[in-house]
Amino acid sequence: MTGAIIIVGAELPHSPLRPALPASDPTHPTLPLGCVEVLGRSVVDRILDALHRSAFDRVVALADAAKAWPVEMNHDRPSPRFVQDPWGEVAVELQSCKAAGIDTVVLIRPSAYAEVNVADLLQCHRDEKAPITRAFLDLRPLDVWVIDASRLESSEDVLPLLLADECHAYPVNGYVNFLGHPRDLRRLVVDCFNNTCRLRPEGQEIRPGVWANEGVEVHRGARIVAPAFLGRGSRIEEQCLITRCSNVEANCHIDYGTVVEDSSVLPNTYIGIGLDISHSIVHGDTLLNLEREVTLQISDNGVIRSNRVLRREQYSQPQSALRMAGTQ
Amino acid sequence: MSNNRPVVVMQVPEYLNLSQVPVFSQELEPLLEPHRPRIVLDCSQVRGIDSAGIEMLLNCLEEAMKRDGDLKLADVSKEAQVILELMRVDRVFEMFPTCEEAVRSFNAIPVEAVPQDAPWYSSVFDDLGYLKQAS
Repeated sequence: MTGAIIIVGAELPHSPLRPALPASDPTHPTLPLGCVEVLGRSVVDRILDALHRSAFDRVVALADAAKAWPVEMNHDRPSPRFVQDPWGEVAVELQSCKAAGIDTVVLIRPSAYAEVNVADLLQCHRDEKAPITRAFLDLRPLDVWVIDASRLESSEDVLPLLLADECHAYPVNGYVNFLGHPRDLRRLVVDCFNNTCRLRPEGQEIRPGVWANEGVEVHRGARIVAPAFLGRGSRIEEQCLITRCSNVEANCHIDYGTVVEDSSVLPNTYIGIGLDISHSIVHGDTLLNLEREVTLQISDNGVIRSNRVLRREQYSQPQSALRMAGTQ
Repeated sequence: MSNNRPVVVMQVPEYLNLSQVPVFSQELEPLLEPHRPRIVLDCSQVRGIDSAGIEMLLNCLEEAMKRDGDLKLADVSKEAQVILELMRVDRVFEMFPTCEEAVRSFNAIPVEAVPQDAPWYSSVFDDLGYLKQAS
């Protein structure tokens, strides 16, 4: 029997093997990039969905309660459980799997978008008879492990075992995006449009290379040049131009005459009249220009701003609200 | 016609926003009043400009040009550059990497002061006249 644990937002201690600390969305410093909606859904949401659709006997989703991140995901499956000590909880879950007769557990910390052949990974782990197998891209470790739960001691701290050099290395041949910097989000979008990876935009392809999710409103005087993505409920006004692999995520409003070129507009963002958004990522009132490596917080509401009508349990900063949202 | 009026270099504040615009405007406006004002704005310290700041810069440029002068930007910080591009006004202003270069650009020799050679087509007419005579 096999199980899967996904652990969102938990940090790993810095080690020389990890050249960069886990990246965050610039506008929500504690929000991991894996939780940011890209082309209709976050990487975390996509992984969770894939795990629930696969043949795992048990799937557990945990999230660090100390992190503010969107809890509204796919509504067809249970929400992740928010915990105070994520790695401690992983150890508890592993013991629980062991007790339930689940000997092999796949543990995923979605710090990267990685296309891993899980069946092959499990086969490799069984063939090698190693207690822990970890996926690697060349020499760089990915946060995907296969753990032999039956060989774990009950009181064992799991984190040192996961980071130990004795882990058997499984080489990943598929597409990997480490999501180490916000520019990786852009790369993921471009790679998706260029079919370099298997990630597909949500919604329907309304024209070759143009995807639109539910409730999109595009003025007849606006131009959407493929490849492009329009997220659910987004509004594109007259004379706007969305072009060069740009993605406008959910509930965004692009006002009259604005050009969005080679850019990502993250969910719930308003972009004002007659602007030029180029080589940038915009979220709420923050603009990150990737060409010039400049992050600007724009206080002028007429230029860019958050378009979000906050529900208390969404994107909340206080931990209590997150816990409240995490309870099932 | 020569203009010996000195070029004025002014430092733009870190944030040129709604609250800073009246203060900065007050300093800048007297410099725009004489004929042919020549102003360089040093934008090296700029970290943010809002739409009020952009409007003020455009107004000042307009005023300067009305009086046959110019307003140029120099040493524009990355932040200011991104904002100017975002608001599509980067092509409106002449920009220079340094204040010295911006100042020097005002002192460039005007086109009318350069002795003009005979136009290229004059030799063609000469040839035509020669051919006419020959025929």
